[in-house]
Amino acid sequence: MSENALRAVDRLPIDPTNGPQLLEQLQDLTLNLRSALDRFRLDSRLTRLAEKEVPDARERLNHVLKLTDQAAHRTLDLVEKSCPQADRIAKEAGSLNEPWSRFRAGTISVADYCDLIGRVDKFLVSAQVDSESVRANLNEVLMAQDFQDLTGQIIRGVVTLVTEVEVVLIDLAKLSGASGIDMSPTAEELARGTGPVVPGVEQGAATVNEQADIDALLSDLGM
Amino acid sequence: MSKDMKFLVVDDYSTMRRIVKNLLHDLGYANVTEADDGKTALPLLQNGSFDFLITDWNMPGMPGLDLLKAVRANDKLKKLPVLMLTAEAKREQIVEAAQAGVSGYVIKPFTAVTLKEKIDKILGTMAA
Repeated sequence: MSENALRAVDRLPIDPTNGPQLLEQLQDLTLNLRSALDRFRLDSRLTRLAEKEVPDARERLNHVLKLTDQAAHRTLDLVEKSCPQADRIAKEAGSLNEPWSRFRAGTISVADYCDLIGRVDKFLVSAQVDSESVRANLNEVLMAQDFQDLTGQIIRGVVTLVTEVEVVLIDLAKLSGASGIDMSPTAEELARGTGPVVPGVEQGAATVNEQADIDALLSDLGM
Repeated sequence: MSKDMKFLVVDDYSTMRRIVKNLLHDLGYANVTEADDGKTALPLLQNGSFDFLITDWNMPGMPGLDLLKAVRANDKLKKLPVLMLTAEAKREQIVEAAQAGVSGYVIKPFTAVTLKEKIDKILGTMAA
């Protein structure tokens, strides 16, 4: 509607010889109206983003933090439960090797043979119990990864929002006429830490890619 | 170096502390204490008798670099081995950590092998 109105004002059949002042005023009015409408559109987009969508995105990201934290702890719990069970199987199997070799070679004493039989009996039971438990824990580790589906969907939604915010901010920057701002991190930001390197994101300072680069740099520094 | 060595692991993420603690246990170091940033770590270091500090860099409260500087400025702690375990990968940050007296620097994501190598290297240098 408003665009149509502006176009209609632009097309008003005014004879310049009869009303030059009127024409000028109308042109000014058209320009003012157009810029007011642009600002209004920007304002309403900003209001919607600031009041609803950005706070929602913050809650969504907090939920992502919670889900990833829970999944990581659940996985760590299961690993910590499984490690002693795997260790127990390995240790007992290892300790049976030597008497078993003697048995196979026919050099085992009767007393050691009786002891070996008893231990093998126990080991067969405990190895089955422990390995079944490890298997069940591994299944749970598998299921603990289901967070990625949910967090992936949430993060994709937030990425879409960030893209929209970017468009609005570019419009705002154009209105304010700002440009050419230095994006390099300040010394204070560097001292506090700026987070991990993200592929495709300009870091604003020279970064190293892997441990070998750091080792080489420290070696150059005499470490 | 004895396997009874006392480690302090400082990271704001509890999952990372658990990972490092588990890796240290696998290496035979069972005496591991945790702290979630430099502010909580410093009093623990001052009041305890820790043999090794592993710290993240980017943490709320007191970042790892400030903790490292505080350790080096403290008479009782200045010789404590400090391994920085961090995602901070800017050259000037690594240079700054080196100038502040870091003993080793491991970049995240890291492997169990890298962590072991760096700890062994630091302990080897100390023993030499």
